Amino acid sequence: MKRLLLVFIVVFSVYSINVFAGGFQQNQHGARAKALGGAFTALANDPSAIYWNGAGLTQLSGTKLMLGTHLLFPASSFRGVAPSKQYSFMESQMFTPTHLFASHNFDNGLAIGLGFTQPYGSGTKWSEDWIGRYITTETKLQTFILMPTVAYELFDGFSLSAAFIYSFANVLIERMIPQYPFEGDANISLEGDDSFAYGYNFGLLYKPTEWLSIGGSFRSEVEYGFEGTATTTGAVQLIDRFPKGDISANLTTPMNIVGGLAVNVTDELTLSADYQWVGWSSYDELAVDFADDNYPDASSPRDYQDSYIIRFGAQYDMLDEFSAMAGIYYDNMPVATERLNPSLPDANRLGFSLGFIARLTKNFSVTGAFMYLRGEQTSVTDSKENYYPVTGSFVPFNGTYNSTAKILSMSLQYDF
Amino acid sequence: MKKIIFVLFLAAFTFVVFSGCEDRSDITGVDPILNGKSGSADLTRFVVIGNSLTAGYQSGALYETGQIYSFGSLLANQVNTKFEMPLIGEPGSGGRMEIQGFTSAGSPILINNSASGLPKNLSYPAPYNNLGIPGALTYDVLFATNSNNCASALFANTPNPFFDVVLRNSSLNRGSQLQQALSLQPTFITLWIGNNDVLGYATSGGVSPSAPTDLTSFTQLYGGIGQQLAASGAQVVVANIPAVSSIPFLTTVGPALAGNPLLVWWQISLSQTASGLPATGLIYMSHEGGSNLGILPYKVGFADSASLRNSTTLVTLRGSAYAQLLGQPTGKYYRDFNLTVPLGVDTTQLFGFHPQNPFPDIFVLDPDEINTAQAAVTNYNNAIQSVASTFNFGLVDINTLFTNIRQADFSGGYTVDGLTFSTAYISGGLFSLDGVHPTSRGHAIITNEFIKVINAKYNANIPKVNIATIPPSLKFTGTAGKLAGYPKVSPEAFDRLFF
Repeated sequence: MKRLLLVFIVVFSVYSINVFAGGFQQNQHGARAKALGGAFTALANDPSAIYWNGAGLTQLSGTKLMLGTHLLFPASSFRGVAPSKQYSFMESQMFTPTHLFASHNFDNGLAIGLGFTQPYGSGTKWSEDWIGRYITTETKLQTFILMPTVAYELFDGFSLSAAFIYSFANVLIERMIPQYPFEGDANISLEGDDSFAYGYNFGLLYKPTEWLSIGGSFRSEVEYGFEGTATTTGAVQLIDRFPKGDISANLTTPMNIVGGLAVNVTDELTLSADYQWVGWSSYDELAVDFADDNYPDASSPRDYQDSYIIRFGAQYDMLDEFSAMAGIYYDNMPVATERLNPSLPDANRLGFSLGFIARLTKNFSVTGAFMYLRGEQTSVTDSKENYYPVTGSFVPFNGTYNSTAKILSMSLQYDF
Repeated sequence: MKKIIFVLFLAAFTFVVFSGCEDRSDITGVDPILNGKSGSADLTRFVVIGNSLTAGYQSGALYETGQIYSFGSLLANQVNTKFEMPLIGEPGSGGRMEIQGFTSAGSPILINNSASGLPKNLSYPAPYNNLGIPGALTYDVLFATNSNNCASALFANTPNPFFDVVLRNSSLNRGSQLQQALSLQPTFITLWIGNNDVLGYATSGGVSPSAPTDLTSFTQLYGGIGQQLAASGAQVVVANIPAVSSIPFLTTVGPALAGNPLLVWWQISLSQTASGLPATGLIYMSHEGGSNLGILPYKVGFADSASLRNSTTLVTLRGSAYAQLLGQPTGKYYRDFNLTVPLGVDTTQLFGFHPQNPFPDIFVLDPDEINTAQAAVTNYNNAIQSVASTFNFGLVDINTLFTNIRQADFSGGYTVDGLTFSTAYISGGLFSLDGVHPTSRGHAIITNEFIKVINAKYNANIPKVNIATIPPSLKFTGTAGKLAGYPKVSPEAFDRLFF
């Protein structure tokens, strides 16, 4: 009879899964726009207009093809957990969001285009023994979109466009789980993808005079439904207690509304400015559902706020075959510091860019750009992120984040 | 003109791309690095004297990954001072308790690791900074120099090999713990001794030894140590002794028995009353109190389910394997321990429920014995406090710390650095698998108590240990036990089921 039972249940707290934050939104869609700090909505005068403002396609003559890529090098550090100031550095990685745009003008007011680009394509990686390992070790999100676009010049200088967005995406989230009260850590990896999501896009371009143009663009939310699996590696003794199996998660990327102005100050000098509103409040919670009812579904509040980006650009046409460009960019952090999290060390960011266009032949041009992004140093003292997620414990992940990014861009354009 | 602008632009572009756009963090400070000193505290030559708690013994063994989290080692880290230890390679001194797996009901299955590791720092040419010796009594600090003249060898005929591992007198020849400590000409000494003077009594159910060290001897021995420490001129901090009756070694089995649905206490009670017994519940052999019921050649005590539940009678973890046999007609205990069945005991009677087959004395700490142990702790602590104030030593009140932690068990747990602990066995996070010695995090909490006292007494500013950065220390069996999939537990593992 009578086996004494000291029932011991290991309770692993639910996930705080934190991905898809503001900084994952990449505005890397062509070197030209990059060189202008992204202030391109009112210009939209190369095939990357398909992304920035489809209405700009009516300005382009004939058939054009543009292909390019960006080399993105993000860097972040975390000092903490407060009161300690010990440094942790994000592992260096390179991302290469790539784009391909094609446009054709029928010379009767109608223009069409097809674009392929990556609106979200970045990630973060920290070592498996760093202090925040129970919050994140690796996060990666890639979304790809294909945008067939139609633009029409309604009357002289006034064009509208509409596009359908077809998107597919994949996501990877990894972190460690403490095997408390036992020694060692387990690792959990969530992978998922969505092969079909859709949205739409409208553009507007108006040139009331020769020296002024006004642009506007609307990009809809895109709802992703990720399906995937969770796998766990840990102590044999505990492995059946860790959540695993099929998972699903929903994510809605934000709506964007952009307005822009461009002014030809002289024949050689053009200035442009953009204001972009980003509806980040769509991202208020990330919920991961486990198909297996034995594991509690997890959700973690993100509480993102709507946000904005301001951009200024200048282009100076020095020679017939060479133009120089420069830009400034400010991106307002959409998340409250108490929810700031090393899976995406977000910050208010200031970006500086320089670039050039070299028209090598009559039909062929190369555009290059370099942007340096500096995140404002952000100190968190009221963190709601728990870096030791076991039952009964709440240890706030307070500390200081610093982040920078370097982006090298190159696009090749061929006019047929 | 345009050519010049063009060249300047290219130069600027190149410069921006290749210049180091590095992290422009504007926090200039780093964590303070002390060199053994803070305020007037001087830990440049730092030595700790004590027993298993000072040694960093966990889960029934002394091993490197436990030793490095001993309070002396953690404290030395915080002030950045030299700290040599008698490190023993994994899995340690032998018999380390580890978790093999869990039953389907969630009970942990514990085994003893049969392997042992080798000492790593034997040739260190001076006494160790950590002079904690598992099993040391207060007597030993003054007099024991090897495994054969320590108290347990002299008085219980049980040589304690840890004295040879730590003191190394066959080669070092520097005498007792106290002599070795003083020979280092220390600037700072901690002394935490006396626990074993009462713990051995409590964990053996008040049987071996049959009494705690008597107060007169303790006071003389402790005073003698204090005098020599004071004479050395070093700064000294001493720690007192926590109450023994709240460690999981003693508080786990009783409540588990009381709450075990397979033991129907009211039925047991009814049938015991019907057979004419004066009291009911668990019937255990008792040498201190108890009654012979007018007929037995030995005495028995009674512990009903309420007294088991509220810990007025304690059953030790060692007795848990036999607690599973309650109600069976068995003499397994006598066979296992190679003992002659005592006169009057009939092993065909129901084990633990019939006065003629009582539960063994060595597994039960009854109310009389609890009082004896508690009185010893109180008296020792008074003696320690008096020595501390006589010689102006710092005093770390570990007793109050553990009383507070134990109190917090009944109000949601003890919270520190955002983490919640309790004295519960295994799940509480404070005590290692032996139920007596702290986990690494438990040691870190103790370290912070020492730091608190040192900072106050010596106007120092030693940073506290962040408990959340100390890894949990309950070991699984097998170092490479990482696998994706379901656990494989051999059937024989259940033969050694601890609970």
